[in-house]
Amino acid sequence: MKYFREISVALALLALLIALAIVAPAFYQPQPLLSLATREAPTLIVACGMALVIICRQIDISVASQFAICSVCAGLLASMKLPLVIVLPASICIGAILGSINGVLIAGLGLPSIVVTLATMVTWREALRWQRQGEFVNLPDNVQWFGLSQSAGQWTVIAIAITLLLVLAVCMNRMAAGRFVYAVGSDAEAARLAGIPPQRVTFLTFAFMGALVGLAAMMNVVQSPQVDPKSGTGIELKTIAAVVVGGVAISGGRGNLWGAFAGILLLACISPALTHLHIESYWEKAIQGMIILLAVVADGIRTKRGSA
Amino acid sequence: MKNFLRSNIAKHETVLLAVVITEWFYFNSVGAHFGSLDNTFDIVRHSVEIGLLALVMTPIILTGGIDLSVGSLLGLCAILFGKLWRDAHFSPMAAGICTLGIGAVAGGLNATLITWLRLPPLIVTLGTYSLFRGLAEAITHGVDTFTKFPDSFLFLGQERFLGMPAQAPIFILVAIFVWLLVHRTTFGRSFRVIGFSPEGARYAGIPVERRIAMVYVLAGIISALAAIIYTARLGQAKADAGTGYELYAITAVVLGGTSIFGGIGTVHGTLLGVAAIAILSNGLVHARQPREVAGMLTGLLLILALCSSVVPKLFARLRARRQTAAPIQAVKTS
Amino acid sequence: MKNIFALLIAATIIVTGCNKSSDAGAPSSGSSKGKKVTIALMPKSKGNAYFISCKNGADKAAKELGVDLVFDGPTDPDPAKQNEIIDNWITLGVDGIAAACENKEGISTALRKAKAKGIKVITYDADALPDAREFFVNQATPQGIGFTLMDEAGRLCNDQGEFAIITASLTAANMIEWQKYIEQRRAEKYPNMKMVALRPCDDLKDKAQSEATSLMSANPNLKLIMAICSPAVPGAAEAVKQAGKVGQVKVIGLGLPSENRRYVKEGVTDSVILWKTEDLGYLTIRAAKAVVDGDLKPGATSFNAGPLGTIEIKGDNILLGKPFIFNKDNIDQFNF
Repeated sequence: MKYFREISVALALLALLIALAIVAPAFYQPQPLLSLATREAPTLIVACGMALVIICRQIDISVASQFAICSVCAGLLASMKLPLVIVLPASICIGAILGSINGVLIAGLGLPSIVVTLATMVTWREALRWQRQGEFVNLPDNVQWFGLSQSAGQWTVIAIAITLLLVLAVCMNRMAAGRFVYAVGSDAEAARLAGIPPQRVTFLTFAFMGALVGLAAMMNVVQSPQVDPKSGTGIELKTIAAVVVGGVAISGGRGNLWGAFAGILLLACISPALTHLHIESYWEKAIQGMIILLAVVADGIRTKRGSA
Repeated sequence: MKNFLRSNIAKHETVLLAVVITEWFYFNSVGAHFGSLDNTFDIVRHSVEIGLLALVMTPIILTGGIDLSVGSLLGLCAILFGKLWRDAHFSPMAAGICTLGIGAVAGGLNATLITWLRLPPLIVTLGTYSLFRGLAEAITHGVDTFTKFPDSFLFLGQERFLGMPAQAPIFILVAIFVWLLVHRTTFGRSFRVIGFSPEGARYAGIPVERRIAMVYVLAGIISALAAIIYTARLGQAKADAGTGYELYAITAVVLGGTSIFGGIGTVHGTLLGVAAIAILSNGLVHARQPREVAGMLTGLLLILALCSSVVPKLFARLRARRQTAAPIQAVKTS
Repeated sequence: MKNIFALLIAATIIVTGCNKSSDAGAPSSGSSKGKKVTIALMPKSKGNAYFISCKNGADKAAKELGVDLVFDGPTDPDPAKQNEIIDNWITLGVDGIAAACENKEGISTALRKAKAKGIKVITYDADALPDAREFFVNQATPQGIGFTLMDEAGRLCNDQGEFAIITASLTAANMIEWQKYIEQRRAEKYPNMKMVALRPCDDLKDKAQSEATSLMSANPNLKLIMAICSPAVPGAAEAVKQAGKVGQVKVIGLGLPSENRRYVKEGVTDSVILWKTEDLGYLTIRAAKAVVDGDLKPGATSFNAGPLGTIEIKGDNILLGKPFIFNKDNIDQFNF
């Protein structure tokens, strides 16, 4: 079964949704579900990038700091009354620059990505805290929901995230650029011999990740009239967990965006599900840990049986 | 002598030692009280827990693994220690020994998942990172705090023994133990071999699974020890103890020259890494710098340390490429 | 060889970097007479708008009194890091320490040590154990905060219906204490109200918004959301607004007027409870200076705080006054 992992995550999600339908049907109200989906759209965008990075056999734990910097910069630009058509590309550019810095250090100098992004995570986070001292950025009125009505804005955000997912999923499967990422992730040396420049692919993957973070930050900024300088805290662990639960191999070269999508949906549902099932919140972290472990253990047992 | 100098001077550890000494002299010139004995002991006292975690992280990273769960395990062990002492009426000694056992079991869980199912350590410990912290919160409901430990126990974290902070001898013993394990036993060599090539190690007859299990169980035990010392230093145990310590420990190990890919690294390098970070964060207070600067500089120092180890290699590779390219061209033209 | 050069360059960069921005060295240990008093002020965590507002007041007092003010704290609320910084200040030789304690017992060991070294210690915002400090600048007791929140909730809901609490984290010590008093007050005075859920938001506005959204759909009879950490108040308000439940679900909480002005004016948030944070910082430094100079001794019953007038002291608590309730009518008068 080629898609065992994706299907099993989808089944787990389905089981959770059915359980909710029986025990807490109140979960299925259109408006709160739409809000939930909108809140998770930025996470989905980041998860798409994270899936690419992990498929390329790298990791990026600096995304939360990048997210916060992009959010605050976008907020400051918007509060200078610049129109959104300028703010949005600016945010993406800032993200791409931050991603490129990771990319240069990792691809250019051949440094390990986990350590480089650990260092940039700490550096950017503390620099931002130093500069902004935790102050909220108040936005002008026309920024929220791109100046549209609330539901139009929510659908726009979701549409952007889903379109991005679709385009990327197709690209990863059908286009040369996508196959290059898989090739470099499964064996960089073989890829090089096949004429694919592994360094360039790795660099572009990180730069692209940064650009996606910039986009995601913007999708988050438009959802409320204020920007929290701590936006995005914890998003790196959430997306890594979702991507891995969704079957992307941490050893690179294996997995796809659909799995990452299913992983995000599953993890995004846990917290509201606990609220709906009236389970005390102090169980939440333990349950999240169990789900991650169960997903990898199930896979581990399956491959062990397969190889034995 | 010349050879000795040349072989040692380019070593990462020597460079790091220079950084530590530079830091020391700089902060000493800026802060009037920085160099005092009291402050030195403060630095030691504050870095013992992270130092312990960094020490056991070294063999793990040498085998090419990683353990993200040590900080959460510290929290879990701290509250279980408190629970055993207060609710089960164990003496601090007995509670401490049980806690070490719990740490071993928790490390064993990581080890089992990593070796038996051959799962990537990053993912397994990411799961237990949430799980251990979650259990600590679930057991205490986040609310319960354990305090009012007897003075005889708090001695361990707050008083002086033989003229130095009471926790320092324990740290030194653990450091010596880990150093001997990594540098003077066949175990240490096998960690490196596994880090370079697990398959190769297997063919060479090294019991790879058992060796890997060993380092994770060791990490569990030492995390529990760090939890006990943490509790004694603060005089309280709570579910949020040790949040984020895993990243400090990993930073110290990598700064100390251990390759995150495994196979290369030393324990004394790690100790220097811990010292570099601890002195930086302490010294910046004496230099009247805000706390954020310490974090930023740690990040930059980490990147620079990595670059410094890679830049010479990069030059060497370029040179090598030029040399190999030349004869090929020569052949072609002829 | 290249190796060592690279790192030495790194070291010099760091050193020069520090040099440029370090404005003052350690407090001069030379002349004892007419020496500038150094007071160290510690927030629970850096990068928190609430404590920045306190610091603004503290800066003002420091300028007036000619005090050398050191402001530092852990970047994230962490009792162990608070202890480290206090230890550092002890060796640094500051004259007075004013700390907002993340955790009572945890910080008290360090504060006692400071006291033993002759440093004057007071606490503000959140207290340590009484034997670890001389005075506590009390902006509002946990009891006062808990009771005020619950009274406000009871008033808005007419002692009827369900409410939920959004907190920062399950382990935040002061919030646990407030919850205790909220529950006590509810049981005594508002028995018809029911607390249906307690959710943490990790001190993030965005997470508070998500939590509030699912709280409302999971509890259709929810009448009120009580947000007891400052980023949660605008987060919950935005969620209520987006759910189209303005008026149906009320929002109250502890937060800064500046972050909530928009929602209070729109009628989403009914009231925000806080004290005047700048006054808190101002009073703290005034009191610390007086304690250091020996003008304020244990047993005093009042304290002259300059422009703030005479402040009452009850036991060892310097009382700033009751928590203040900001609502539609008065929120425009405050800009912090």
